[in-house]
Amino acid sequence: MTREIYQAIVDGILVGGVYALMAVGLTLIFGVLDIINIAQGAMVILGAYLSYELAARLHLDLFLGLLVTVPAMFVIGVVIQWAFIRPLRGRERTSMTLLVSYAVALIIEGILYEIFGANPRQLSASYVTSSVHVFGFYLSYIYLYGFALALALVAGLYLLLYRTTFGRSVRATMQDETAARLIGINISRVAAITYGIGVAVTAAGGMVFGATNAFNPNSGYDLISRLLAIIILGGLGSIGGALVAAVFMITLESVVDIWQPTWAIVVFYAALVLVLLIRPTGFFGRKAVRAQ
Amino acid sequence: MSEDHIEGRNGLTRLRGLSGLQLAFVVALLAVAVAFPVLFPNPVATNYGVYALIFVAVASAWNIFSGLSGYISLGHAVFFGSGAYTLGIAARDWHVTGTGVFALLPLAAVAGALIAVPFGLVALRVRRHTFIVITIAVFFIFQLMAYNLSFTGGTTGLDAPFLPWGAQTYNNPFYYIALACAVGTIALAWLIRRSRFGLQLRAIRDDEDRARGLGVHAMRVKLTAFVLSGAITGLVGAVWFFYLTQVQPPSGFDPLFDLSVVLMAFLGGLGTVSGPVLGALIIEPGQLYLTANTNGYISEILLGSLFLVAVLLVPRGIIPTGGEYLRRLTSRGRTAIPAAAPSVPQAPDTAPVREAQR
Amino acid sequence: MRPSHPWLSKRAFALSGAAVLSVSVLAACSSSTSSSTSTSTSTSTSTSSSPSSSTPITIGASLSLTGDFSTDGQNFQKGYELWAADVNAHGGLLGHQVVLKILNDASSPTQVDTNYQTLFATDHVNLAFGPFSSLLTTPASSVAARYGYAFVEGAGGAPSVFNSPANQADHNVFDVSLPIKDELVPFVNYIASLPASQRPKTAAYPMADDPFADPPVQLAQSMLQALGVKTVYSKIFPAEVAAYKAPADQVAASNAQIVVLGSTDVPTVQAFMQAFEQQHYTPKLFIAAAGPDQGSAFTSAVGKGNAVGMMVPNSWYPGYANAASQAMVQAYVSKYGGNASSVGADVAEAYSVGQVMAQAVAATGGTDNAKIISYLHSGVTLTSVQGPVKFDSLGENGQSVAFIFQWQNGGAAFNQVLPVGAAGSVAIISTKPAWTS
Repeated sequence: MTREIYQAIVDGILVGGVYALMAVGLTLIFGVLDIINIAQGAMVILGAYLSYELAARLHLDLFLGLLVTVPAMFVIGVVIQWAFIRPLRGRERTSMTLLVSYAVALIIEGILYEIFGANPRQLSASYVTSSVHVFGFYLSYIYLYGFALALALVAGLYLLLYRTTFGRSVRATMQDETAARLIGINISRVAAITYGIGVAVTAAGGMVFGATNAFNPNSGYDLISRLLAIIILGGLGSIGGALVAAVFMITLESVVDIWQPTWAIVVFYAALVLVLLIRPTGFFGRKAVRAQ
Repeated sequence: MSEDHIEGRNGLTRLRGLSGLQLAFVVALLAVAVAFPVLFPNPVATNYGVYALIFVAVASAWNIFSGLSGYISLGHAVFFGSGAYTLGIAARDWHVTGTGVFALLPLAAVAGALIAVPFGLVALRVRRHTFIVITIAVFFIFQLMAYNLSFTGGTTGLDAPFLPWGAQTYNNPFYYIALACAVGTIALAWLIRRSRFGLQLRAIRDDEDRARGLGVHAMRVKLTAFVLSGAITGLVGAVWFFYLTQVQPPSGFDPLFDLSVVLMAFLGGLGTVSGPVLGALIIEPGQLYLTANTNGYISEILLGSLFLVAVLLVPRGIIPTGGEYLRRLTSRGRTAIPAAAPSVPQAPDTAPVREAQR
Repeated sequence: MRPSHPWLSKRAFALSGAAVLSVSVLAACSSSTSSSTSTSTSTSTSTSSSPSSSTPITIGASLSLTGDFSTDGQNFQKGYELWAADVNAHGGLLGHQVVLKILNDASSPTQVDTNYQTLFATDHVNLAFGPFSSLLTTPASSVAARYGYAFVEGAGGAPSVFNSPANQADHNVFDVSLPIKDELVPFVNYIASLPASQRPKTAAYPMADDPFADPPVQLAQSMLQALGVKTVYSKIFPAEVAAYKAPADQVAASNAQIVVLGSTDVPTVQAFMQAFEQQHYTPKLFIAAAGPDQGSAFTSAVGKGNAVGMMVPNSWYPGYANAASQAMVQAYVSKYGGNASSVGADVAEAYSVGQVMAQAVAATGGTDNAKIISYLHSGVTLTSVQGPVKFDSLGENGQSVAFIFQWQNGGAAFNQVLPVGAAGSVAIISTKPAWTS
């Protein structure tokens, strides 16, 4: 029995890394642009399909392929933000951004269906099915690489935020947008680039998700609710929080799975509600100043 | 346009009634709606009517809470599904059959209200985006419970008792019940909009902290609106279940349900009374008709593009934008109409900075 | 200062009034010219009399061409269309050409309800075929019962379909496909036939939360337990992709010798196989309720080498030595490409629906649905590419026989292996080979 629990914990940590990769972009976008990007699930799948095409056409290794898909998704993100998100303002901005991001998700899904059809696919590579034997457990390479990638990306984003001028502008915008404007920060540029970065990071998440799960254009819907729960738990806008929350939630779900898989997901969402009751800003979120 | 509210004695707000012309319009619309099954007896038409009216009621109920308070709920499917399941479970366990099931409908409204209380107490403590995600989380908890608990029938779901009615007239009683729900909800929305309660809700939407400072019991007000909204949605969910004769977890608790409702309310005009009605009447029959006749995923791309166009071009909704447009047309050359006083008095030193473009 | 938004200005009324009227017009248009027919006496059994030989026979169906069930819905469409083309090439039904009218329901029950009402009350189709999945078949069959149509379908086999109040009252549902509950019995019989020293000792039963996947696995579990096979894992998991890894890892950790997987599609099987591979675990016998019967969609997803040894129950496979089935497979390949193994089980199910309906029309001499319903309930045995069809009082096909199929020959051959000694069965691979990636 205890071996099962250890297995579940190890699984949970590794899979949590994958979810962290997918969630980090979402929380970054929220922190700066103050919007919930429902299209995030669709973007993960888009990243998965892009990696799929690269691997199928050019036989590029999955991780090498990221050198192409990440910049590509960055451009896509900037374009989407500039065309559809930027014009939204006013009192109804929350519902407008919800609808716009839902619309973007629909369009991405429709295009993917038209190009690829409904049949499920999966990314394959030698390290997807092979594993290393450690302390009596088998750890699959793809999950190890994915977790390492998640750590690297989180570290990279922290470097960006805390060691570069651009990062300072981003943090300033996150803290107080009006003040940031007053000291001359170009909010539109910061917003566009941040959205682009958020989507670009999602390309990595998409690749690892696509290597560990079968996916088709419809798969984004199941994901988005979990990702939203993770970033709220981690604290909106907190990158490290997203990683911690992802690992925590997925590990919790994995352990409950031993007892009863059909209740494990319920525990996932119930844990979110419970934590928010005690600490409404999540693990590492900042207290909202004027929460309107 | 002159003010909606007139201060009467004792500070009570007196309702401003409809002008004669407006009343005539309402009566005419109502007459058309009541006569609809007679004018178009084909069951296909009344079928569209049933679903359209169900969503009119849902969108209006959603708007009573979310449109007025500004708390966007993506969890109203919780009430819809719970109402459906309540009717199904009651009919099954109490062995009610045939038309007797209609008498159980108020039970679904009660179920919706009862669920809304703990749901609201938990969710309304947080704001905006966190609120949205909590409603999503609670929605999934309910959907998963519907799958897992035995008395909900699990993945098989529940069947409604059989009604041995003829096909040509089967839809009509459901049409009239849905019509009654819709009209009742619209009337309630109208009353709330014009009342002090509605004023308090809108004050919360504009600036909750300030409203609190002015003496509004925010939690109480929000919760009341949430409970009302939940009760109506539960009732309509039960009507839907009985009409369709079946509920299962993915259809009773449909993740896209709330997004459709948001779109309907938004398209017509969030916070207005006639907005959600118009939005529902456009979107629900439109969606039913278009889906049946499209083969590929072009329809999804089209749908998404339509949403984008709608949000970007008509950001305040059809009713307010259309009304303003017409007013601008007809008032050219005449003196400007004094604007109504805003819902919460603005202190001069906190004039809002120009909205950032992000 | 914000401008006021008059919520109920006169113009707003005019706008909403116009919108309501235009929507009514839209709804009215959808009912086209048939509003006059409702004045005639309406009975609950509509009896469309036989059309004259120049008019086509119209058959209406709602299918999930988009949405959750789109893969299967599109396969069903292919099956219906193949059948209609075949019938028309041979002179049609009773000399009339068959015209299919298929509407998309996007996997939504509300839409399915609307579609069938449109097909019956506006388009006045002569006959009806069923949609895909039990979720959609139950509300659709209620509509068909109201209008008095025989509802022949191939993809709604959960007990809720047959036990629905409408079917219990009107008995109009006819499922041509294999009832699922006993489909794993041949596999259990094989285990029972092994000498005690060779019989596997432990078994794991992971099941997706689905009314198709669970009953056969649960029956197999109770039967195998009675034989002395120990149950080391038996849990139901949610039918979503993110929930497969944890149960799969636990099954691997249990080291069960038999794995009976209650799956409904290829991704479930693939996820379990991948997890087993990562955990360096190979069960001696591995059977899944669905997925490996999807032909090349399965082998391309898991890899041909890995597919070897995988077993699945069904009543049909592309190699079935039946003239009508072979003709159907060839027609599919010439129209859609690929080869015989590309044809999935859905296509055969849909095709069988058409065949059963054709035999009923021929036997009753017309498209009178009431007569068709009583004919189909008369205990007659009909033929289809899936084998014999005979309906009980609730519309289940009691004659259908389950076979067990296995991938062999390095993933190139999908062969019938059980029951041992049945016509068409070849030798079974009794131990699954190791993973090949």
